[in-house]
Amino acid sequence: MSNPIITVHNVSTRAAGRAILHDISFTLAAGELATIIGPNGAGKSTLVKILLGLERPDTGVVTVAPATRIHYIPQLSVDDSTGLPLSVREYLHIGTTPLYCAEPGPFDLPAALMHVGVDASKLDQTWQSLSGGERQRVAIARALLSQPTMLVLDEPLAAVDFHSRNGLYELIRHLQQVHQMTVLLVSHDVDSVLPISDRVLCLNQILHTDCHPTQYHAATGTPVPQVHHHC
Amino acid sequence: MELLTYTFVQYAFIGGCLMAILAGLLGPFVVQSRQAIASDMFAHVSLAGIGGALILGVAPWWGALPALILVSTLVWWLRWYHPQYSPEAVAMFFLSGGLALALALVHTARDQTFAFENYLFGSILTLTVPELLTMTGATVVVAGVVWWLWYPLVGALQQPPYQLPYRRTPQLVQLVFFWLLAVAVWIGIKTIGGLLIGALLVIPVLTVRAWVASFRGVVIASMGATLSAVIGGLLVSLVFDVPPSSLIIGVLIIQFILQLLLTRVRTQA
Repeated sequence: MSNPIITVHNVSTRAAGRAILHDISFTLAAGELATIIGPNGAGKSTLVKILLGLERPDTGVVTVAPATRIHYIPQLSVDDSTGLPLSVREYLHIGTTPLYCAEPGPFDLPAALMHVGVDASKLDQTWQSLSGGERQRVAIARALLSQPTMLVLDEPLAAVDFHSRNGLYELIRHLQQVHQMTVLLVSHDVDSVLPISDRVLCLNQILHTDCHPTQYHAATGTPVPQVHHHC
Repeated sequence: MELLTYTFVQYAFIGGCLMAILAGLLGPFVVQSRQAIASDMFAHVSLAGIGGALILGVAPWWGALPALILVSTLVWWLRWYHPQYSPEAVAMFFLSGGLALALALVHTARDQTFAFENYLFGSILTLTVPELLTMTGATVVVAGVVWWLWYPLVGALQQPPYQLPYRRTPQLVQLVFFWLLAVAVWIGIKTIGGLLIGALLVIPVLTVRAWVASFRGVVIASMGATLSAVIGGLLVSLVFDVPPSSLIIGVLIIQFILQLLLTRVRTQA
């Protein structure tokens, strides 16, 4: 394995007397695209928060390599109609403000948008007027502005329509390769994420499987999905 | 309009405009972060500080400030380090607790001249020069901090909040916001009143939100709405013998209804 960027060692945590995570250990290597999959309530979000230092485990240690710059894109809301208008320009600026970003990236805002396949004319539109797929792309653009070495995306397809999904995953894969980032995806949509992942970690309180995507169905005993062609 | 030549009326306009600027500036952040109940909570807590000041024999209004800063810090701490307590439950705890403590402290102080109403519904027509200077200083400080921390505040108070791995910067920015809100409520209890400050923070934001396309636009438009409501409410209160606070809120509600009608017209056009 190449240089480890995050090492998780014997992490366990409980809430309300119930085990959320039990004895989780794995290492993420620099430059790989790993996906944590598992059903709702499997502890995926808790594990991500622990990896990001946003929560502390009851036991165990998480070690992050020095000089690692992690950017976290939380699950975006499907409906934020109660939110106040926020322009795309303002949304992006949040990620470049010196208090939150020590080293802004080489992009200006229009270039960052175009880099993720969003027209620069959307800069002065409201965040609320964008589609789910566009929001996710703009969130990724904001991440790129802070030059991360690692990108963590929690359920990136949650607010994205079916037709935009493949394009979004291809974008994530493309950016990971171009910027040589480590990417950690969290998803419960197994079949969509397998084709782009280097590695799959199957979580349900314990780490059931840690394997290459091609071995996933054999390792978990789940049926290989049939390919359907949609008109 | 001979009344406008009276010094106490001019002071009321200056104090009202300072309050309007503060409310217009912070209101969008309050709504965006879903902390509308926090302003009411802080207002009730300030009454406990006023009660404490009466017992200590210091100016009541000044007693409210340390109480507000202390409780705003406590609320922030509970929010981040004890998330099992819902924000609504924490707000109700301090709201009721603050009022109960205020009643006990004011009763114990036995100050015959003290009237709760001055802080519950404001006493904008009794502002003094030292109070105005203090309010001006507080407004400049709050506006300066908001200007300096503009994007960090917008990020830390959006839903979901901007989070930085292994850093607590957005959380600290939220603490600063709670302090700024505490200062706004402190100014508010002297002008429009603790029970009405929430309306001045929230209603203008609801009025303007459909007509702007950026957060900066919401803030500027909210300030315009609060300023016009305060000035309009004060002017009408000079003509009719009605408490200024109630008229200010009345103008805010009229603005909101007009906006609803205009939105309907715009949608049908």
